[in-house]
Amino acid sequence: MGVSAIDVRAAINQPSIFRLVQRKIFNSAGWGLCGLTFLLLGSAMVWILKMVFVRGAGALNLKVLTHIQIGVAGGLLNAIEGTLVLGVGGLILSVPPGIAAGIYLSEYDGGWLAPVLRFMSDVLVGVPSIVVGYFGYVTMVATLGWGFSVAAGSIALAMISLPYITRTSEVAFRQVPRTLREAGFGLGCKPGTVIMRICLPMATPAILTGVLLALAISVGETAPLIYTAGWSSFLWTGHLTKEPMGYLTYAIWAMITEPQRSAHQLAYAAAFLVTLFVLVISVIARVVTFRRSGWGQHA
Amino acid sequence: MGVGIEVKDLNAWYGANHTLHDITLNIPANQCTALIGPSGCGKSTFVRCLNRMHETTPGAKVTGSVRIGDVDVYNGSSPVEIRRRIGMVFQRPNPFPTMSIYDNVSAGLRLNGFRNRKALDEIVERSLKQAALWDEVKNDLKKKSGASLSGGQQQRLCIARALAVDPEVMLMDEPASALDPVSTSKIEDLIFELKSQYTIVIVTHNMQQAARVAERTGFFLNGRLVEFDSTHKIFTNPSDKRTEDYITGRFG
Repeated sequence: MGVSAIDVRAAINQPSIFRLVQRKIFNSAGWGLCGLTFLLLGSAMVWILKMVFVRGAGALNLKVLTHIQIGVAGGLLNAIEGTLVLGVGGLILSVPPGIAAGIYLSEYDGGWLAPVLRFMSDVLVGVPSIVVGYFGYVTMVATLGWGFSVAAGSIALAMISLPYITRTSEVAFRQVPRTLREAGFGLGCKPGTVIMRICLPMATPAILTGVLLALAISVGETAPLIYTAGWSSFLWTGHLTKEPMGYLTYAIWAMITEPQRSAHQLAYAAAFLVTLFVLVISVIARVVTFRRSGWGQHA
Repeated sequence: MGVGIEVKDLNAWYGANHTLHDITLNIPANQCTALIGPSGCGKSTFVRCLNRMHETTPGAKVTGSVRIGDVDVYNGSSPVEIRRRIGMVFQRPNPFPTMSIYDNVSAGLRLNGFRNRKALDEIVERSLKQAALWDEVKNDLKKKSGASLSGGQQQRLCIARALAVDPEVMLMDEPASALDPVSTSKIEDLIFELKSQYTIVIVTHNMQQAARVAERTGFFLNGRLVEFDSTHKIFTNPSDKRTEDYITGRFG
């Protein structure tokens, strides 16, 4: 053959002019696109954050945090409470089945059910949240007669969170090295013990990241809640059904369309709180993911 | 105390790939038996068949019979029962990274429902001493993660973890191949100590290692057991030409 190691080295070390120009063009085009995208996304984010934080922080005071809404004035206590109750309710309903489905997809992959489950989970991600809301309205609020309620709202949010938690759990379990499962089996552990006591602790940080992101998504949702939780200006009395519930995203939407200044103030305060909450959750999720690298010494 | 292992007509597959052909051999109790051979010859698959680890790989299949002591491994016993009587040490140290040193050593007992704290303390200490790791870790038992130790220490931790469940047989799948010479010699010393109480089967790439630690040696080639005899005979006067070629370094 005519090609020697010297020829190859020469071609690598002294590329043709055409190659050099081509590289320069692709290099600058790549960097240009990166910069443009960064500018576009960065400026949009900074603009939104600036508006929300400047106007929201100005509107925020102790009264907003401690009083319930009265007409177009008062505070947001009812909405803050509602967002937390619905968010936590959604998690309680979506985390156990989500992790269970993730375990099934990762550990018992092989039958016909796993691909079907994965497909349905992907479809569920793509369903517009307003459709989930309307589905909740038709089934729970109307047909089952629960009315606008915490139960219907939490279930709607759980439907939105479930596919995220399932997918992150599946990935988290798949990342647990096979050698650790074998170590467990080698000690005479049952498959269930290996999954729950060896794999689950390893997968927990990654699952937690998914759970936090799902929480951030549900806190930011409005559409599914309008149809299921309704709206209320009062604090929750603890009923799961037949009691509408307030939440921050609705407060933004409803108050910003009112003419009064006090209403706008509340809308911006609510926007500030939602953004802050989502931001804090995202940062915690990042930190958890980052910390995980500390445990990752096992190859 | 250790028990002997009788293997008869053992065949194993990975999917359509027939990796072990008609293996028949008797491994004596309370001795160390080494299995040597080139990469891919089936020696690892063979030890993984002894404690039914092979079948945890998707698509794996095993036929034939294995008796460990009075237990028929592939007939009438569950894999979980079998594995509780057989300790296994793997090629790469695999301590549980989310568990402390103490929890790693006691894992086999705790995860299988044993909760007596005092007994656990004793077993952890005894196992770590047996694995010659006690002096190095006794002050960090519950403070340090198993993954924070050095590679050689991790492997001795894994040996302690296997010893803690008081097995009758120890399977070691190239236990020193990922370790430096100092750690390797510590593991070999350990095997020497342990073989009076346990039946040890060690897979190794390193022929000197086999010669140093084992009473008996088996030579595998292309999924078949070519020769199985006393280590002395295998290394000085093998009866098969292929064994001689391998140990004199003509291939592999």
